[in-house]
Amino acid sequence: MLLGKRFRVLPIIVALALVLAGCSKGSSEKASGEINIFLIPSPSSTSIQSFIPEFEKQTGIKVNFSETPYGEAHQKQLLSYQQKAGAYDIAQFDNSFLAPFCQAKAMLPLDSYLKDSKDYAIDDFLQAQQDYGKCKGETLGLTLSTEPMIQWYRTDIYEKLGLTPAKTWDEYYNNAKKIQASGSGGQIMGFGPNVSWWWMTLVWSFGGKLYDDNLNPTVNSKEAIAATDYLKKLIAVSPKGAITANGDDVTSRFLGEDIGAMLNYSGYYGMALDEKINKNKGKIGTAPMPVGAADITHLAGWNIGIPSDAKNPTAAWKFLEFVLGKTNAKAYLQSGAAAIGRQSIINDAELVATNPYLPQLNISPSSRVERYPQIAVWPEFETAAIDAVSQVLTGKQKTQAALDALNEKLKSILAKEPRG
Amino acid sequence: MGLVRTSKRKQRQLTRPIGHYTLGAWLLLALTILIPLLYGIYISLLDINLASFLPPQFIGLKNYTTVLQASETWATLRITIALMALGMTIQIPCGILLALALHQQLRGTKIFRSILITPMLLTPVAVGLTYRFMFDTDLGIINWFLGKFGIESINWLGSQTSGLMAIVIVDSWQSIPFVMLLVLAALSAISTSLFEAATVDGASSRQIFRLITIPLITPTLLVIVMIKIMDFLKLFDTIFMLTRGGPGNATTTIGLWTYKTGFVFLELSRAAALGVMILIITMPVYFLWRKSTRNVR
Repeated sequence: MLLGKRFRVLPIIVALALVLAGCSKGSSEKASGEINIFLIPSPSSTSIQSFIPEFEKQTGIKVNFSETPYGEAHQKQLLSYQQKAGAYDIAQFDNSFLAPFCQAKAMLPLDSYLKDSKDYAIDDFLQAQQDYGKCKGETLGLTLSTEPMIQWYRTDIYEKLGLTPAKTWDEYYNNAKKIQASGSGGQIMGFGPNVSWWWMTLVWSFGGKLYDDNLNPTVNSKEAIAATDYLKKLIAVSPKGAITANGDDVTSRFLGEDIGAMLNYSGYYGMALDEKINKNKGKIGTAPMPVGAADITHLAGWNIGIPSDAKNPTAAWKFLEFVLGKTNAKAYLQSGAAAIGRQSIINDAELVATNPYLPQLNISPSSRVERYPQIAVWPEFETAAIDAVSQVLTGKQKTQAALDALNEKLKSILAKEPRG
Repeated sequence: MGLVRTSKRKQRQLTRPIGHYTLGAWLLLALTILIPLLYGIYISLLDINLASFLPPQFIGLKNYTTVLQASETWATLRITIALMALGMTIQIPCGILLALALHQQLRGTKIFRSILITPMLLTPVAVGLTYRFMFDTDLGIINWFLGKFGIESINWLGSQTSGLMAIVIVDSWQSIPFVMLLVLAALSAISTSLFEAATVDGASSRQIFRLITIPLITPTLLVIVMIKIMDFLKLFDTIFMLTRGGPGNATTTIGLWTYKTGFVFLELSRAAALGVMILIITMPVYFLWRKSTRNVR
């Protein structure tokens, strides 16, 4: 009897459960109007965040974001994509991680969105920049910042000494030597933990390559040796502390001290706009990087894309289009982000007046664009290269011996790279 | 026979509650130490790479042979041992000397002791970062100070030798108080009658130190040596903040190399193999430590 009573209650429980399930389905539909963004602390990230309230107001889509420091950001993303957790609808990433993301098919190809989007206006970008987030012909990431390696110089020092921005590497060295003789620091580059940025730029510019089309290392070629020797030669015309300086240190020192020139990514220009850091306001000029045996542009910068496991890719694209589209491009730059190399931005006179480096983003069609090596084993490759180059720079090893040993080591590292 | 059985039962009754009380702690230990340890050994036998989305394959001891054949493993181990030797050569004698000075109970000892243990209370990350600025070649206070005596500025973090010296200086600054405190505790445990008797017998203070003090604090010193060996094997934060293991890998220890392998190269299985290797290296040290602590008791 008692059991019978219990069984009579059962349909009510089932009905209640169904109603609750219905309610929860409704709430998940409402949740489909939400997107989660994975950001990495940077001026680009700060700018993206500033667009959220307006986007939410216009579309009713709720935007959640989280910031993860660079050192663990890509590891966290890879873990999330491996688990197909669907935790993020949009993710910011470094271009050096495009290859592993591509191999893992972790990001959604954006080409169909780009084709249909009038506001994003992909034609507003030069071809090299359209290709920046591409892997195997598919666009996996939009350009979040366009940061070529450029020449920075102190206009007052150059004017005083009658110098002009260098067009060749010999001129760059000679300028630095003259500036040093006048009592200022000749030039600055980061010979410390990020030395690979400058070393690979020089190797490419001197006509060398890091590896050939079959992934055989070529870091002990005569061009690479000449580039490494040149890098070492520059230490003599740099401030002493440059030997341990990283990218941030180099920029702070150039902007805060009396140093004639610097070779660095244009993305650091945000620091030049900060008066607390830039003690040389109004005296900072920019010019294209000197040209060596090969005319190359080392292009760096953030990417942003939609993970393949995103729960709400349509809303995610809407957000990307809103923030990075042509309509808001000017506001995006003015909110403090590193510039995106749209033609409409680079050639905007009003913007150039406040961001005089913008013309440097106009990459000449004759210049060969080099991105961070698009290989999944790049972190291990880079660590080995930094170690070998540091041994040359600190005088522990001769260039030829160090690069021969590096070339041997890289064979086993590159052998791990998936082919095809 | 009956008596034996009764006493055994009583013994069981007595020990049972203790077992129950410690069960939670054992479970917690198993959960946080034993299971991760076994899992670490397990993944060291696979080929997990965080960037590869392929299912992991069992590759036996291949990671171990790779790690053992890699020149970086031995280079970073040598750096670790060099740091260990250099660090202990400075830290233990300095710690003993400070403890001896404080043991004299001179005026102001209490304040001095409080000041001396302050570095121990600071986080190594903050200490490393602060010292990084202090060691800066062009702007650092250390070179500024040396400059006052006409000494040319040293590129502290720019070469292997000076980089290792800088790490030892920072680690010593934090570790000497620890050595001092342990030695001071050992000194306080020595009966004063021993010193009095030796003095009455005409022993000089040097003889007292060599023949009474040192033998009696030796078990504590052994404990300190063991703890410091383990500390140096896992030294990470100070180096990470100070030199990042550079220039190149010139100041990279085995612990930092394991981190780079796992979290920079994304080679999780290879990093696990390195971790197991460090564990194997530490085991004899652990057993020696256990033995020495038994002697202390």
